[in-house]
Amino acid sequence: MSSSASRDQRPSPASPDLNEIAALLVQLEPTDRADVERVRGMLAALATDPATEDLDTCALLSSAARALGNVEWESGADATAAIASASRLLEHVMVRPAATTAAGTMRADEADGSDALPADSDPDLLQDFVAESREFLVAAEAALLELENAPNDSEAINTVFRAFHTVKGTAAFLGLERISAFAHQAESLLDRVRTQEIAYTSRCADLALRSADMIGELLSAVEAALGGERLVTPVGYQALLDYLSSEIDTTDDAPEASASELAAAFELDAPAAPRRAGTAPSTGDTPAAHRGAESSVRVRTDRLDRLIDLVGEMVIAQSMISGDQTLTGTPHSDVARKVAHAGKIVRELQELSMSMRMVPLKPSFQKVARLVRDLAYKGGKLVEFVTEGEETEIDRNMVDYISDPLVHMVRNAVDHGIEFPSARTAKGKPAAGTIHLSAYHASGNVVVELRDDGRGLDRERIVQKAIARGLIESDRGMTDSDVFDLIFAPGFSTAEQVTDVSGRGVGMDVVRQNIDALRGHVEIASEPDRGCLFTIRLPLTLAITDGMLVRVGAERYIVPTINIHLSFRPERSMLSTIAGRGEMVLLRGELMPIVRVHQIFGIPGAVEDPERALLMIVGDGDRRAAVLVDELVAQHQVVTKSLRAGLGKVPAVSGGAILGDGRVGLILDVPELIALARQAPESGQRSVA
Amino acid sequence: MPARPAAPDAVATEPATPGAARGGKFLSFFLAGEEYGLEILKVHEIIGMMPVTWVPRTPEFVRGVINLRGKIIPIVDLRRKFGMAQADVPETCMIVVQLEGVQMGIVVDRVSEVVTIPGADVEPVPPFGASVNTDFLLGIAKTNGCVRLLLDIERVLSTEEVSSLSTVMSIAAESETTE
Repeated sequence: MSSSASRDQRPSPASPDLNEIAALLVQLEPTDRADVERVRGMLAALATDPATEDLDTCALLSSAARALGNVEWESGADATAAIASASRLLEHVMVRPAATTAAGTMRADEADGSDALPADSDPDLLQDFVAESREFLVAAEAALLELENAPNDSEAINTVFRAFHTVKGTAAFLGLERISAFAHQAESLLDRVRTQEIAYTSRCADLALRSADMIGELLSAVEAALGGERLVTPVGYQALLDYLSSEIDTTDDAPEASASELAAAFELDAPAAPRRAGTAPSTGDTPAAHRGAESSVRVRTDRLDRLIDLVGEMVIAQSMISGDQTLTGTPHSDVARKVAHAGKIVRELQELSMSMRMVPLKPSFQKVARLVRDLAYKGGKLVEFVTEGEETEIDRNMVDYISDPLVHMVRNAVDHGIEFPSARTAKGKPAAGTIHLSAYHASGNVVVELRDDGRGLDRERIVQKAIARGLIESDRGMTDSDVFDLIFAPGFSTAEQVTDVSGRGVGMDVVRQNIDALRGHVEIASEPDRGCLFTIRLPLTLAITDGMLVRVGAERYIVPTINIHLSFRPERSMLSTIAGRGEMVLLRGELMPIVRVHQIFGIPGAVEDPERALLMIVGDGDRRAAVLVDELVAQHQVVTKSLRAGLGKVPAVSGGAILGDGRVGLILDVPELIALARQAPESGQRSVA
Repeated sequence: MPARPAAPDAVATEPATPGAARGGKFLSFFLAGEEYGLEILKVHEIIGMMPVTWVPRTPEFVRGVINLRGKIIPIVDLRRKFGMAQADVPETCMIVVQLEGVQMGIVVDRVSEVVTIPGADVEPVPPFGASVNTDFLLGIAKTNGCVRLLLDIERVLSTEEVSSLSTVMSIAAESETTE
């Protein structure tokens, strides 16, 4: 018992020194160069002190030292800003609960008797509690980040307060004393912000966010305990709890509240009667937890997916019935009418089932917001994060894939894009960088844009690196976007320094992979010192493709409608052959190459004369092309199915779909088809548009 | 076309010769006049011929894909795989095999029966003389006077063989989620 107590009370091996330095920092004269240097030296020494085992602490300390070192004494500037930013970083170190040093691992708290779930607990109730509390935490985190921009937003404070309050109440009801005790402290802190006893500072925000994280860890522990493991206390629990209660205590002007808080904190630490004070007042609040739950039903995602699959099959079965010859040829129009009616219902059902799987991008954006905040702190940078269109909806199955690319791109933006405040001011930019994340719907696609106003991509460095890695021989003839595309190559990284967060050369290839898997595209635009813009285009859903059924010879293919701009039958005067570039068609002053599907796929018996066939204009920008097919058959909504399980990746085919007659139709991958056509006639030559 | 029940078989009692393939239950079928055996545990079902959608730019022995009750599975033409002449009699059925969770169909002339082949009846493949690349065979079984070539179907349909060269085989889980 005593060993644990002493461990908990010493937050970090470095803290005594840390406190000293913090005190010195406060007293520093911004104009006293020698003193600033002295403190800088102490910080740097502490950062490299082997006793400081935690890497994050080291990084924060050295950032603080760097901030002080960046002061331009010669130009007459004083160190006010540097001292402020150093203090903020230092504050961050001190808030860090001691034991998070153990890289987020958990340890059992031997001193605490409660290493099991309450004996009479209902596993289902606990499971629900964990899921529900997680949602509250997500909402709380979002509100906390909002508060950073608008500290007086009382609605946001209330959201956070409510979240902690509800978690506390339900936890107490379920006998999860540690959670309720902790939530109680967090709630008290927020309560004082709410009643405007204390101002919402970044220190306060930090505490609240850390508290949310801690509750999340406590929930994970409960979940693990449900799976039969011992109920462990997350590392740093006691330290953060103590810190919270001391924080509430030190802000003096609320005698009543702080007194009870203090009492609670003391009792929590007392070995004899642990964890009672926090739970007692809250047991009556549990109904609040269930409010607002009636409007939705939680459904397991695998059931939802199965439902959508089955509805997809039903649509096919329905269209097979309605296309059946005995029905179309029947004199009994009555039957046909009934079948058509059933078809309408089926289609409506399909639309409904698809919409059930659509979720807003908001949670993904929130994760990014938190990430930006943390990364900026760690890197000693000032970043303002702006989001737009986070209510844009996307297929739930795609959300998991989109999170990873976003995280990598944002890491890159903060770590390599946005410069240090001093460098920014030197360039005449505002000290705080801006990262703008937005989403919107455009022509049946979801577009996600990530824009930063950092230093932009360095074309020369990318080219050098690509040559060094043997990716290219020279950049002759490569457009900027060709060059920028290189950063998606596996193992490519332009960062000179390997940092904690990025720069190990993994990341951007993950971005490309995930986006390819989603049938999306990513484009980069960049201007030196103006920043960088990543544009990701994604289909709304992977499950259904709106397609045009086309015939080539005896084969039929589905071309996604989204790819087709228009289709027409050309006249002789529009066709020409250009040496070295093959057949071209001229439409409204635009010259486009003709892509013969029958030639690329080797289909016999197709119409070869364009005047008797049909040209479909597909693709974008310099990748526009006219695809030659025999005829358009019909427009179809098809359920996309993967061919990969048995065949691997088939060139120029993105998947299969079951057509109205029950046969399989292949869905063409138009960009790949065009790429294939380009390779085919003059292989080896890179065509530069 | 359902397979006929297994013919009652005299199970040999003498120990298997070392090196010979294991015996067991096999589905026997005909291809170009020869009888083959396929481990019954790998067989998922037998279906009648149905229209196959040809997939461009796949190896020649991949005849295409079919719709198996809402699931798209590839069909492999064994004659082409083994370099035999095209069938002059109509093919009657496809055997759907299941390998590591992936279903694939193979086109055969005719399915015969399910037989139990004792291990002792299985002989190693002679290095030459078989009409099929010996890599694809587990062994040769001589039971009740008929000779059957036992197919190593996993090798015949190995993913490197079937999927086109340049691409990485995606894990089954991924295809499930993107479907």
